Amino acid sequence: MRILVVEDERKLAQVLSSALEAEHYEVTVAASGEDGFFRANAEAFDVVVLDLMLPGRSGLEVLQTLRQRRIETPVLILTARDSIDDRVRGLDLGADDYLVKPFAIAELLARIRALLRRGRPSEVLRLKAADLELDLVARRVIRGDRLLELTGREFDLLEYLLRHQGHLVSREMLARDVWKEPRRATPIDNVIDVQMTRLRRKVDADGTARLIHTVRGVGFVLQEGEP
Amino acid sequence: MSGWPGASIRVRLTAWYTAVFALMLIVYAAATFLAVRHEFREQLEDQRPDAPEAGAEERVEQQLREIAVVLVLGVPLIVLLAGAGGYVLARRALAPINQLGIEARRITADRLHQRLAAANAKDEIGRLTAVINDTLARLEASFDQLRRFTADASHELRTPLSVIRGIGEMTLRDTRTPAEYKDAMGSMLEEVDRLTRLVDTLLQLSRGEAGTVPLSREAVDLGQLTRDVVASLGILAEERQQRLTIDAGDRLCVSADRLVLRDAIANVVDNAIKYSPTGSTIAVRVDRNGDRATVSVTDEGPGIPPEHRERIFDRFYRIDEGRSRELGGTGLGLAIARWAVESNGGRISVDGTTGRGSVFRVVLPLARSGT
Repeated sequence: MRILVVEDERKLAQVLSSALEAEHYEVTVAASGEDGFFRANAEAFDVVVLDLMLPGRSGLEVLQTLRQRRIETPVLILTARDSIDDRVRGLDLGADDYLVKPFAIAELLARIRALLRRGRPSEVLRLKAADLELDLVARRVIRGDRLLELTGREFDLLEYLLRHQGHLVSREMLARDVWKEPRRATPIDNVIDVQMTRLRRKVDADGTARLIHTVRGVGFVLQEGEP
Repeated sequence: MSGWPGASIRVRLTAWYTAVFALMLIVYAAATFLAVRHEFREQLEDQRPDAPEAGAEERVEQQLREIAVVLVLGVPLIVLLAGAGGYVLARRALAPINQLGIEARRITADRLHQRLAAANAKDEIGRLTAVINDTLARLEASFDQLRRFTADASHELRTPLSVIRGIGEMTLRDTRTPAEYKDAMGSMLEEVDRLTRLVDTLLQLSRGEAGTVPLSREAVDLGQLTRDVVASLGILAEERQQRLTIDAGDRLCVSADRLVLRDAIANVVDNAIKYSPTGSTIAVRVDRNGDRATVSVTDEGPGIPPEHRERIFDRFYRIDEGRSRELGGTGLGLAIARWAVESNGGRISVDGTTGRGSVFRVVLPLARSGT
């Protein structure tokens, strides 16, 4: 999978490319709007990560020109201005998703996975990890030979963790996607932590290998073995 | 008067006064002259039938001419004197305004505590001075608030920054195990998260106050919204063995921005859970009072001393700094709540008794069509 990162801030570009390379994507970095446009025009990428504030040609202009030339590579825009106008303009011009700086790398990776998955049937009715099995139709969870009694919220939370299995999930992502709470001003982080503790108590009961891990300062990950 | 935009009030005042005075004087002089002439001519005619005196007519005409000369020469002189007097008077009357101007000029942003003095508080100038002083007082208050806010904000931003820096420096000092590095990084990221949240919330608040946040208006069932918030935050009360009760009856529709209003109520309820002791009860009620709907949150916490009640809705205002920070508050929750309620046309207030708990009330006007 090839990803083009158009970002002029050198440090951020470095962080992005090493994070993406760690996920085994092939990364190309362009440091200006012109360079970014040239590469996106000349080569084939699976996803373009495009900063809006660029020297020379702005991100929005690059996006517009790409779409005018019928280059339909999925584009994820990065913006520091989280004014609604900017996002709407970006999405109107043909961006597929956006992230507001400062963002968590975990979230960027999740968005890129979502863009890459797009258009493919993802309807799996059973999610599995080690000896944990979640049945979306029956809304039933089994760990080993134990049937887990989960509340509605706990089930949704576990489903989300399983869908992002092996990948970090931030509190922000959980707040937005599981609690449907898009605003950071709402005091929801404590709720997430408490809910997660309860879920873990049920999933990782005594005598079983731990599946749900807390990564301090970042969020949570569901996987076999320590993160 | 608008004919001379450049002339000072004093000159314009004098000119008008003099012109009006001169006109009146001329009318008066002309009337006097005509009356005298009429009188003289009547006397002349009275005398005529008996013994018409030769030359009498000429004498009368002569006298009339003399009177006319006196009047014609005297009027400008008097007008001139009156003008000069008026000029001096106008200057005296306007002197306090000049003085006011000079004093006001001395008051700058750093000297907003100064006030203008008026010789007589009851006259026009005195009233003007009082108005200017009021404006200055309001300016001073908002400058103070801004200054305090800037100081508080930099303090709040600096705390996580110094933690990040401290952890970084300490961790780099020696070689550590990977686990220790991970822990240090995680701890730094926690602070970054705090900074991000702080900046986000501040941005939202300042946008809100500048009125650049577009609010949507829709009919929101306040009872349902409050039930949702309580259901969502209930788990936090459970953790602290608190009883969180909700009493919301029939549909009570208010016209508001749902997300913004939800923030407000969530922040108030979260606050009550955070500051109430374990095992206590927090009662949330939604009632109707006439054409208003009220959400009240009653807790059994320490209560808020009356002197703090006005200010707890200010950004970063904390009654107990250490404790609030330890509980993970940003110091902005109630400020967000106030903005959210007020921008939806409502009011938020707190009362209760110190030591026996507080009651937070959010009052919103009912939507016109909804009941």
